[in-house]
Amino acid sequence: MVVLLSRLPATECIKFCHRVVDGLCGREPPRRSEHSTTWSPEEWLQLLDSLSAFYRRAVGSDSSEEEVRARGVCWGGLADVGSSHAEAVLSVLRARREEIHHALLDRTNSISSATLQDFDWQLKLSLSSDKISSLHTPLLSLSLDVREDAALRSVTMEMNREELNTLISSLEAANKVIL
Amino acid sequence: MEEVDKILIHALKQVGTEVSEETGSVRQFSSELIVEAVVRCVRVIDPGLGGALPTSLPPGMSARFRVGMSLAQACQDIGYKGEIGYQTFLYSNEPEIRSLLMFLVEKLPRESAEASDQPQGKSAVLQRAIAAAIRAQLSVPWLPPNCRLPLHSQTQSPGALHSFHVQPLSLAHCSPGKKPLKEVKDYHRDILPPVTAQPSHHASVVASILEQHTAELSAAQEWDSEWNSQGLLSRLKPQEYRSRKLTRLRKRIEEQLRSAALPSPESASGGPRPNGDLSELLQAFRGSAPSDHILTKGSHFTHTQKFTFTKTEPSTSIPFVHQSDSDVQLRQQEEQLSLQEQQLCSEVDQLTADMKHMTVTHAQVLDKLKQRELGNSEKEEKMQVKKKTIDLLPDSDDNLQKLKALVEASAKRVVHLASQWEKHRAPLIDEHRRLKEICSRQDLESSQKLSEIKSVHDKICVSTEEAKKKEETYKQLVTELENLPQDASRSAYTQRILEIVSNIKKQKEEITKILSDTKDLQKEINSLTGKLDRTFAVTDELVFKDAKKDESVRKSYKYLAALHENCNQLIQTIEYTGTILREIRDLEEQIETENGSKTVANLERILSDYKAIRQENSALAAKVREG
Repeated sequence: MVVLLSRLPATECIKFCHRVVDGLCGREPPRRSEHSTTWSPEEWLQLLDSLSAFYRRAVGSDSSEEEVRARGVCWGGLADVGSSHAEAVLSVLRARREEIHHALLDRTNSISSATLQDFDWQLKLSLSSDKISSLHTPLLSLSLDVREDAALRSVTMEMNREELNTLISSLEAANKVIL
Repeated sequence: MEEVDKILIHALKQVGTEVSEETGSVRQFSSELIVEAVVRCVRVIDPGLGGALPTSLPPGMSARFRVGMSLAQACQDIGYKGEIGYQTFLYSNEPEIRSLLMFLVEKLPRESAEASDQPQGKSAVLQRAIAAAIRAQLSVPWLPPNCRLPLHSQTQSPGALHSFHVQPLSLAHCSPGKKPLKEVKDYHRDILPPVTAQPSHHASVVASILEQHTAELSAAQEWDSEWNSQGLLSRLKPQEYRSRKLTRLRKRIEEQLRSAALPSPESASGGPRPNGDLSELLQAFRGSAPSDHILTKGSHFTHTQKFTFTKTEPSTSIPFVHQSDSDVQLRQQEEQLSLQEQQLCSEVDQLTADMKHMTVTHAQVLDKLKQRELGNSEKEEKMQVKKKTIDLLPDSDDNLQKLKALVEASAKRVVHLASQWEKHRAPLIDEHRRLKEICSRQDLESSQKLSEIKSVHDKICVSTEEAKKKEETYKQLVTELENLPQDASRSAYTQRILEIVSNIKKQKEEITKILSDTKDLQKEINSLTGKLDRTFAVTDELVFKDAKKDESVRKSYKYLAALHENCNQLIQTIEYTGTILREIRDLEEQIETENGSKTVANLERILSDYKAIRQENSALAAKVREG
């Protein structure tokens, strides 16, 4: 499927591949609107899939350059592209190997069904409530961005000092168990 | 007194009393100002005591009297020993007020003492700065959105807040010792956008950078602490330690995976072999891996799952839908097929069980075979020995001799060999002992060095911490110095104090000089009077002797007595005038002090206040009568 790449000039091809790797590493992938004239939607999807699968396999199997060259044929039809394009794809692989490796490790780390993507906290000082006119209690509102089956779900909770301490101690205990 | 008053006024201003610029001494203080100053001081010294006191005098005379009484009580509670009452505040006189204010200012809590109580360190400074910022924000009143100035929009409008979202960043690190590839360099130079352009939202730039930084920092710290606690003890190089930890972790993961995988149906039908290592196991789990037999088994499992699901769906929909004949046939067929499938499944299960059984029996049979073979070879050996003895039987004597000779030769050889062995053994054993000693010595040395390294490490840690602490305290002190108010400089005070001390020294010297002068004078006077007395006695005697004989001498004797008496009288009057002058001076001082305490004005004020109280009382009485 990588044969579709040959519609781009070689210099553009390097940039495009880097953008694809960016997408692999969790940043912004290339936009279709920039290349809408070059590929049809189906071709676009195929190209993206095959390119990212190629990079994933090349780094995931931890194979050397010759192996990649040899196996690239069955992974993504690397042989069908012109030599300059194949060279471009491989140079991007050489340049970004570490980064892709890290991204794959992260993916493996988040193997469980729900993983913590991000967390954010705000400290609030509640001055009074409906029962007590002067409260002056600090409250921490913690929001956890949990990724569950590729969908982000935000879990928000509010707790006072003691509850926060219990949460932190239990998290520390969990960390100790893992180590 | 000017200096003291300036210091007093400065201290009162710091407490919060509004002293106008013109008032330069305590003499100019009005009653209102005195009351305000005293109340503010009391509030700072003891908030519980001063909270109930008003800072200004009420208009009514009796109320003023009461305020004065309570103020005097409060001052006595704090510990003022001097004479104090309502009159101190209402009808002030300068020295009393000054002594009271000096007492109160001395009682004020020192800022420096406060500062030394607070926790030190950079974090403390930061926390104090945060607290100050929050206090400032809390003191700003809340405004409705329409009335907000741009000044408020930063702290009060929620639009400025972003939630914390992190995106991975790509930074061009230069790892030491490894030259980056040419492609990596090209990528960093030509294509990699700057960090600020990498995240898709501008708001998450700071969050991402912070997150990356903390992640790297905490990883480095964790490694450092682990290496210091466990890595050094293991006596390995860092790389070796890492690789050992890696293998340990791999083993653990493998065990976990295997124990988790065992009860699943996949491994029940002969999944990963029990002796494979982790990579093999992972191969088994990797869906796209080329190990085909496991893949097919997995797909077989999913197929059966699919079958069972598709089977249940139509059966539930039967009663609701009208079925044509072909549908019925199809259903029957399906049922048959599913039945067949189930049968096949059970057969497969049976067959796998049989296979297991077979493999077990096969192993058993193999074992038995081996045992048999072993027994066979033993028996063959025995048979050969017997065969030889049978061959030797006919020529028994000769053979016996031969055998004896052989036995002797071999015994000799054994002895020879043993002696040779001993010869070889002794140096070898010595060598072994020597090596062992060297080894143990090296072990000891290495452990010593290890402990030395550890102690050096601890020292390094301790000294770095100390350095950090000292740096922090230095920074803190610098910030405190910057924050200190510049108007009342310490050096000026100390200079003034030194000046005052030197003045006092000078005065003391002068006083001692004057004292010695007076002493000298006294001595001179004493000696002179003594001389006078003696000369008078001598002259008196001489003249008295001659007076009996001569008339003119008698006259001169009379004159002499008169002269002496007159002189005595003169001296007495001079002394009298001296004492009177002294008394006059005392009285003048007294008059001055009385003038200083504004007695006349105070008396007039007391009189007017008395009248006011009487008026109030009469008005109250009139009210009572009316009521």
